[in-house]
Amino acid sequence: MSRFLSVLVHGFWKDLPPFRLVLGLCPALAVTASANNGMGMGLSVTFVLIFSNLTISLLRNIIPDKVRIASYIVIIATLVVLVEMLLQAYFFGLSQQLGIYIPLIVVNCIILGRAEAFAARNPAFLSAVDGFSVGLGFTFSLTVVGSIREIIGAGTWFGIPLTGPDFEPFAFMVKAPGAFICLGLILGLMNAYGRWRGENVIQ
Amino acid sequence: MRDIAKLVLVLGLICGISAGSLATVRTQLADRIEQQNDLFVRGPALELLLQQPAQDILSNKLVIESPEGSAMIFYTMESGEVNGLAIETIGKGGYGGDIALMLGVNLQSNQLLGLEIIKHQETPGIGAQIEKTAFRNQWSKKPANDPVRLIADGGTIDGISGATYSTKAVMDGTQKALSTYLNSKDRISELIEQANSTDKPIE
Amino acid sequence: MDLILLAISAIFVNNILLAQYLGNCPFLGVSKKLSTSLGMGAAVIFVATLASIFTWLVYHHVLVPLELKYIQTLIFILIIASLVQFVEIFLKRFSKALYNALGIYLPLITTNCAVMGIALLNIKHEFGFWQMLVFSISSAAGFTLAILLFASIRERLFISHVPQFMKGSAIALVTAGIMSLSFMGFSGMVN
Repeated sequence: MSRFLSVLVHGFWKDLPPFRLVLGLCPALAVTASANNGMGMGLSVTFVLIFSNLTISLLRNIIPDKVRIASYIVIIATLVVLVEMLLQAYFFGLSQQLGIYIPLIVVNCIILGRAEAFAARNPAFLSAVDGFSVGLGFTFSLTVVGSIREIIGAGTWFGIPLTGPDFEPFAFMVKAPGAFICLGLILGLMNAYGRWRGENVIQ
Repeated sequence: MRDIAKLVLVLGLICGISAGSLATVRTQLADRIEQQNDLFVRGPALELLLQQPAQDILSNKLVIESPEGSAMIFYTMESGEVNGLAIETIGKGGYGGDIALMLGVNLQSNQLLGLEIIKHQETPGIGAQIEKTAFRNQWSKKPANDPVRLIADGGTIDGISGATYSTKAVMDGTQKALSTYLNSKDRISELIEQANSTDKPIE
Repeated sequence: MDLILLAISAIFVNNILLAQYLGNCPFLGVSKKLSTSLGMGAAVIFVATLASIFTWLVYHHVLVPLELKYIQTLIFILIIASLVQFVEIFLKRFSKALYNALGIYLPLITTNCAVMGIALLNIKHEFGFWQMLVFSISSAAGFTLAILLFASIRERLFISHVPQFMKGSAIALVTAGIMSLSFMGFSGMVN
């Protein structure tokens, strides 16, 4: 039971992507210009993570070692194409906004990383929970970064205007430099908080 | 030998299942995706030209093949008579590539309803000015029987200075749409009659 | 002339890393030293160009005629993964020196968003063959440029006074942001 709990929560702080688990940075920077896109991307990645972890875990004793990575790639890519089609069919606007970053989920290091680190050597249910945990942690991070960038950079949140007409949006935030700096500062703050609690700094 | 057989078998199976599931999902979702695509990409233009909610018009769709290529045609009906057409064509020779545009025709007055640009990759500030209403308004109320040409070619359309390629591509697309309309008027009426009597979609 | 503009645009204005966010994982992981960055950059140029050629050919001559555009993602990643494997084996057999120089980075490049990203962008921008070639080499060169500049800065950062909580990736990201800002200055260059 305690194992289940530890797997359930580790994605939310201990291994929070992309901050403490320094993987999956490309989407974190690219799609977080708005909270909506950040959340959409996060949920898509979560979907792929849960099912890829589940499938890989179920097949972990069947897949020969030599074709391990190749099989993982096929499984993950299949799930990503599935997500692509589902988004186009039911969330067309989001799929247009996320653009090429949806197919790029397939090279998102988080998914292959969790497959290798967890799903390859753990039972199916726990692996699915791991995918769920890390995926939702990622979604949370993306939504937060997206919100910060959107609020400061455009004055809206999920498209809802928050500020009056006199607010001059800090457009820097929704462009590339803003993304890098925002992420860097958040990481710095998390490090500071971590050090205050006595943990190690992320290098 | 047995090892290699196992390798090939497992990888082959995974690829097979992947291909199979993707193809299945694809056939299920293809229609819906196309519909969503039409709604988002063409919907706004259709509403502007034909003055009706895009949802109503989207199912009234035909594709006409002509020597210049294939053209997508949407139509509106009133009291059983076809009163408006929106013809989508590709204008070639734009600075950044092909330009997808839509020409509206008012069948009752035999005049053009207007021009909408669906997709283009022209330079912002220069070629992209083809989107401006000041430019596109020149298409409104032109007789549908006369060829629409630039002033330089003996017509009445004022081009955009510095955007020769972009303007040329728009004229090219307009020519194609007009000739499709004039040459295939009968075929179009025929197809619409068919569509409404059998209630089956036309391709 | 258009091709030269395309190249300049790909290297500076729309730098694959600093403006299009692709290729970050190796960027932060490998750029601690100038020599490793050079190795990574070279490997990326090599793989990205080859991968772009193969994926473009397969897309235009297999996927489009067969109406299979929707599995583009799957096919592309398989091409890239296999390509990297072949290149590794080839180098190991025929050029020990090159293998030792690039060898460790090659497997990393399979999951490098820059390589997959460039392949996808070629399709999205609807490039012809030569445009695709120029775009791919230039984008990868832009990546290399960014990573080299970054490594030099990082080597200095390592010996500077950085607040404890900003050490490592945090200050690296902020630095990347400032670099990205400076590259934005190129945006008026084309046209």
